[in-house]
Amino acid sequence: MSFYKEFTKGLWNELPPFRLLLGLCPVLAVTKSAQNGLGMGVAVLFVLLLSNIIVSLVRDIIPKKVRIACFVTISATLVVAVELLMQAYTYPLYQQLGIFVPLIVVNCIILGRAEAFAAKNPVYLAVADGLGMGIGFTLSLTFLGSLREIIGAGTFFGVPVFGEYYQPFTMMIEAPGAFICLGCILGFMNYLNRIQSRRKGLAAHKNPTVCGSTCAQCGGCSKANLS
Amino acid sequence: MSNSEKNILFAMSAAPFWHCGRTITKNSMHYMIALMPAVFMAIWHWGIPALGVMSLSILVAMLTEELFTRVMHRTSTIADGTAAVSGLLLAFLMPANAPYWIVILAAFCAISLGKMAFGGYGANPVNTVLVGWAMVFVSFPVFMDPNSMLLQTDFIDPLVRLKYFGAEALQNASFTTSGLMFGEQIGALGASQILALLVGGLYLLARGVIRWEISLFFLIGVLLVAAILNEVDPSKYASPFFHLMTGSTILCAFFLATEFACAPDRSLGMILFGLTGGALLVIIRTYGVYTDGAPFAVMLANLLCPYFDMIKPKPFGVKK
Repeated sequence: MSFYKEFTKGLWNELPPFRLLLGLCPVLAVTKSAQNGLGMGVAVLFVLLLSNIIVSLVRDIIPKKVRIACFVTISATLVVAVELLMQAYTYPLYQQLGIFVPLIVVNCIILGRAEAFAAKNPVYLAVADGLGMGIGFTLSLTFLGSLREIIGAGTFFGVPVFGEYYQPFTMMIEAPGAFICLGCILGFMNYLNRIQSRRKGLAAHKNPTVCGSTCAQCGGCSKANLS
Repeated sequence: MSNSEKNILFAMSAAPFWHCGRTITKNSMHYMIALMPAVFMAIWHWGIPALGVMSLSILVAMLTEELFTRVMHRTSTIADGTAAVSGLLLAFLMPANAPYWIVILAAFCAISLGKMAFGGYGANPVNTVLVGWAMVFVSFPVFMDPNSMLLQTDFIDPLVRLKYFGAEALQNASFTTSGLMFGEQIGALGASQILALLVGGLYLLARGVIRWEISLFFLIGVLLVAAILNEVDPSKYASPFFHLMTGSTILCAFFLATEFACAPDRSLGMILFGLTGGALLVIIRTYGVYTDGAPFAVMLANLLCPYFDMIKPKPFGVKK
């Protein structure tokens, strides 16, 4: 369990939205443009990192029975801080994201990482975990947002990328477009996985939700060990 | 023991044991024959552009199917004609002079996302054609609206009249019942050929390709809800028969709602499915944003289909 290992797992092997399928609500709802995706990702990164640190610091003080309530209180406090910061410095982005900023409190990633990782590990590992997962989440959201923005509006971070004759395929920035994009990305990830395992000479990769008994680190499903 | 194993008298196999000789290819042929009158009527009304849209849509649909079967390492199903029928039905929902790229995009989306993504013919939860149609219709409303595309005709769009001028405007509008039946209205190129589609639909019913329960109760659902609304306020809501003869009601009732993969397979389920679709059609037309919500009504009914399929008869011999 090294710092580097905990950091990199969130970037590919346990990439939150596309591997663990956690935190799908903001993934689907706010990625209408790359900018929104990036903003939401950074907000989650901030909350996730600090909540991991705080939970890891107080992990021996909190009684087991009330831990979930404590985690929610911690993340709610941080989310309020993020919300006020966004109102102060990035007001247009705050208006774009709307209700999804307060909803970070109930984002599965925050609670999942607090419960499954930070509550069991020392601070420096929790930092690595929070940073990795947060950066993975931010990159995923930005990627999905740019994909949808480029196809659905013909722009990338607001800059037109196609000529003036491009007719934007607006379906992609509507809700169904998010599901279609996410489905295609998940399929593509599974395909890449299969190629990877074939190169290593392993058997075909199983469905990523059947995670292969790494429940202690993941907490991504009902089978996770919540003791 | 070895002797008795050699002389096996009873071969075990699962139902069905009786095959009537029908194949998917023949089914598609019946669909093609049933759609021919509407094809001719469309070409007669809208000329060569309509033919172009239909040909391009069929071509792209078939090529997409071939491409995806190759990518998925499956046996090629291009020859069974289902992709061609989907392509033609998709073209029927488009304006006659739709730009070529919209036709290509719609046909590609229909086959790739509506059909092959779920595993090919018979596995789709929502009608293949309508997936492609909905994607381009929501994305490019201007290019998909026949009213704005067909500015040079003398016909009028009865549904637009109804939506924006109310039912009273229909009284002094310049269309007749027989005119509507022969497709003298602005609408999607094939969907507005009411009489031709009716003939085709009856042909399919007569050949036993589609089930009468769905089509009949779809139309009954339309008539019922429209009649209730018309009874409440005749000056505001159009007569029930007006809804039958405009937009894509007939196309939906006979060709789209009856797609095998996403319609229930027992009588009671089919009846409820048809009624739901028909009722939703009038409700979407009356209260929705779009002038003709018929295909959306079919899609919603498709999504309810698994629940209709839960209505099962009691198995023979079960005590309860």
